[in-house]
Amino acid sequence: MAQGVKVTRPTKIELIKLRRRLVLASRIQKIIKDRVSILVMEFLQIARQTVATKQKLLTEFADNYRALSLAAGHHGYLMLEKELIAAERDLGVATGTRNIGGVRIPAFEMKGAEGAQGYSLSDTSAWFDETARLSTQCLDTMVELAELQRSMDLLGREINRSKRILNALEYLIIPALGVTIKYLNMKFEERDREERARLKRVKVLLERK
Amino acid sequence: MTSDIPYERLLQKSLQGELKIVNSQLPVQPKPLADLLDEEYPQVVCRDGTTHLFRRKELDYLAGLLDDDDARKELGLPIMIEVSSGAGEIAVLGTDVTAALISRLLGMPLQSKGGRVVIHKPQLALLRQKLRTTTQYVFRPPTEAL
Repeated sequence: MAQGVKVTRPTKIELIKLRRRLVLASRIQKIIKDRVSILVMEFLQIARQTVATKQKLLTEFADNYRALSLAAGHHGYLMLEKELIAAERDLGVATGTRNIGGVRIPAFEMKGAEGAQGYSLSDTSAWFDETARLSTQCLDTMVELAELQRSMDLLGREINRSKRILNALEYLIIPALGVTIKYLNMKFEERDREERARLKRVKVLLERK
Repeated sequence: MTSDIPYERLLQKSLQGELKIVNSQLPVQPKPLADLLDEEYPQVVCRDGTTHLFRRKELDYLAGLLDDDDARKELGLPIMIEVSSGAGEIAVLGTDVTAALISRLLGMPLQSKGGRVVIHKPQLALLRQKLRTTTQYVFRPPTEAL
């Protein structure tokens, strides 16, 4: 049996206040329930995407290492190192925020990966180009994966928090309000009955006189 | 008075806080697709002061679906998806341009009634999969008396 809400005086004004509170709590409970179901749907979508992206990254790493091995075999390690130093450049990650159902998640986008590679085209071969292309792809996928993993973490925490509030509303607050409203109604009915009984006795006494 | 009890006051404050969080992602002013395509970092400002960044790929995808320049100027982003707690239905809010766009995306004829296109949960999942950053949820509280 749910425990009631503490009430100082069993008056009609208190009953009206409790009814309003019950309406507010019920409305919020419905909204939060919808929000939780939407967030869970988003979480599952992002989880599936994360798994797929992780798999894609592992495949890309494998392909990249294979291409690098072939380039090293073709050019030699010294030549490869020389061209890799020339290919060094600054890359940036543009960051921002996105919002999913009230949850702020990070947004990352790779900048500076496109454009000229920086190494000599005459001294290198298609093996090197392929390695450079795959490396850029790996970097893009890593940034995408970072965004997805962080989003999943934040959504999971928000779902936990909202579920706790939902459960508190559903199993504690709303039943407690209901019990107190019922108790107050019973009190008022009792009072009415006593009043009517008292009036009847007074009427009988007056009639006797 | 009941409202003087600290626990009750705390409870009311936290519940009001929840209502504020739920629709904090809504934009202050939606931006047309045509304007967003010209921006280097396409974004809108949300009600809570934060910014919501759109993905360039999605904007290009939407531009590809809408060939007409007027339609691109008319389409306001993000597209609002209304979740009604009372009625238990999901609807995409927008003009006929939005309805036509959603119809093309989902591959089924949909009509806008009173600026709303009613969809179901599987369609919502598909829509969100394709337009993750260019759609936003708006949670409408139930209006019926309890």
